[in-house]
Amino acid sequence: MGWEEKQVRGYPEFVQTAQRYHGRPIFALFCGDKDAEGKSWCPDCVTAEPVVRKELHNMPDESVFIYCLVGDRAYWKDPNNEFRKNLKLTGVPTLLKYGTPQKLVEEECFKAELVRMLFTED
Amino acid sequence: GRNEYDLLVVGGGSGGLACAKEAAQFGRKVAVLDYVEPSPQGTKWGLGGTCVNVGCIPKKLMHQAALLGSALKDAQHYGWNTAQPVHHTWSVMAQAVQNYVKSLNWGHRVQLQDKNVKYFNMKGSFSDPHTIRGLTKAGKETTVTAENIVIATGGRPKYPLHIAGALEYGITSDDLFWLKESPGKTPVVYYLFILHVYENTVSISLTGASPDVSLECAGFLTGIGLDTTVMMRSIPLRGFDQQMASLVTEHMESYGTKFLKRCFPTKVEKLESNRLQVTWKNTDLGTEETDSFNTLMWAVGRAPATETLNLETVGVKTNSENGKIIVDANEATSVPHIYAVGDITEGRPELTPTAIAAGKLLARRLFGQSSELMDYDNVPTTVFTPLEYGCVGLSEEAAVQRYGSDNIEVYHAYYKPLEFTVAERDATQCYIKMVCLREREQRILGLHFIGPNAGEVIQGFALGIKCGATYPQLMKTIGIHPTCAEEITKLHITKRSGLDATVTGC
Repeated sequence: MGWEEKQVRGYPEFVQTAQRYHGRPIFALFCGDKDAEGKSWCPDCVTAEPVVRKELHNMPDESVFIYCLVGDRAYWKDPNNEFRKNLKLTGVPTLLKYGTPQKLVEEECFKAELVRMLFTED
Repeated sequence: GRNEYDLLVVGGGSGGLACAKEAAQFGRKVAVLDYVEPSPQGTKWGLGGTCVNVGCIPKKLMHQAALLGSALKDAQHYGWNTAQPVHHTWSVMAQAVQNYVKSLNWGHRVQLQDKNVKYFNMKGSFSDPHTIRGLTKAGKETTVTAENIVIATGGRPKYPLHIAGALEYGITSDDLFWLKESPGKTPVVYYLFILHVYENTVSISLTGASPDVSLECAGFLTGIGLDTTVMMRSIPLRGFDQQMASLVTEHMESYGTKFLKRCFPTKVEKLESNRLQVTWKNTDLGTEETDSFNTLMWAVGRAPATETLNLETVGVKTNSENGKIIVDANEATSVPHIYAVGDITEGRPELTPTAIAAGKLLARRLFGQSSELMDYDNVPTTVFTPLEYGCVGLSEEAAVQRYGSDNIEVYHAYYKPLEFTVAERDATQCYIKMVCLREREQRILGLHFIGPNAGEVIQGFALGIKCGATYPQLMKTIGIHPTCAEEITKLHITKRSGLDATVTGC
């Protein structure tokens, strides 16, 4: 069946989507919002996205890749935003395997081997 | 041909990972093999070794869970309106602990990858002195060659195979920390629990014995409300100061853990109710007794994980009695270019910090032009029983043996932690003992402390002992008030004087 991608924005949409695919391996990449030209306010996210996308084919069959825009810079900087509070995210970009402690944060997402490891580890 | 790696480490635990990561810092080509053979009950875990998965980490977290239970009871005295009694849910604790452990497994994977250390999830054995044959879970074989090989496969809990039913019905610490459901019976009526059978087979190490799994587990299981019994054939905490060991077990008894002393089990059977029927001999009374429990956990010592390594093929010598690998001060085995660190080695403490230090120093000697050897003297340690026991240096018995009782002075004190007063907690076993040389500068040989946060208390004093601190220097050290640790700086009653060692408040 391969894998599929879902693009979401904001915490409620993320949770709803993750719940919908409960039972399948779910990987999520959290990035800062993009402007009209498609450029994120988060420079590390700009670097990480192509690296992550290049490794997507390594995800196990039936995987769901959720690409989630967290919000604007001000929202992200708020220490009480829902991503920080509920998902315990500490930075963007964050790439994680939903429901497990496996995640890569910020510069870790720049490294193809780490991304590949996240997608293929048990 | 050339060896593929400069260093191959077999075993991804405390010692192995420390050695591999340090070697990688020197720009060397390093690989680590790690494999967890499932326990007889089927439990397995990820990268990181015993400490991370089935040792120090989960144990300390569960010990903390139990301490919090006591704190909740104390809270009322301090004005908190907490409804008593407070109940504990095993599965909530277990899941939180297990998730944390899994995050550590992942953290190690990321670190290895980041430091360019190649990781193989395979079971290794020697084909020749520079070649390891690795086998995956699926049975796929890979050969890896290396200039230097470090064996750091640690140990696993032993099963008393001569006891009928031991293997089929008993669990060990390998399984306890990964249980999803309480080892005790459910909710309302807390039934009977773990029977820990303890026998001593650990070799005595005068410089720091390894803490006692059974007492620590029995301690936190009692603390979270489970009806727990410890069965022992002989003495607890062998290798530790025996006076301190009895105070620890005395406290556990008053805290609620049941002890069956000088007893040993003869068989284990399963009842229709799914409970376990254990039969044992009481050597004091000469009788045979029996009782039923939900869970039986064996804590009869640990065996080095050497049998499947094929050590005989390459000539690595082991101690014939306990199977541990014999190493010299360089951590070198009988075979050149093959080394060993951690629990697998003979005569070393079974502790994480010593394995890590030994692993790092070994890497520095191999690749960093260092000649520094590991110093195993005065290694501090702590037993995380409900009332903790921390120590550094010699036990009283070891000091007497080495110097003679006439040449040592033992200072001691019974004290009461301030926090226990308002909470009306019994401090009978809160005790400190310091062993010094009697002559000349009165160097401190050993310090023993039973009380809350014993590990935190002893850590700093370990530096003093390392620097050769003396009794007069200690007496010049001002205490921090109010703390339990300050009582160490005030020790002045000697055992020799026969005076009452109870400290009065300020």
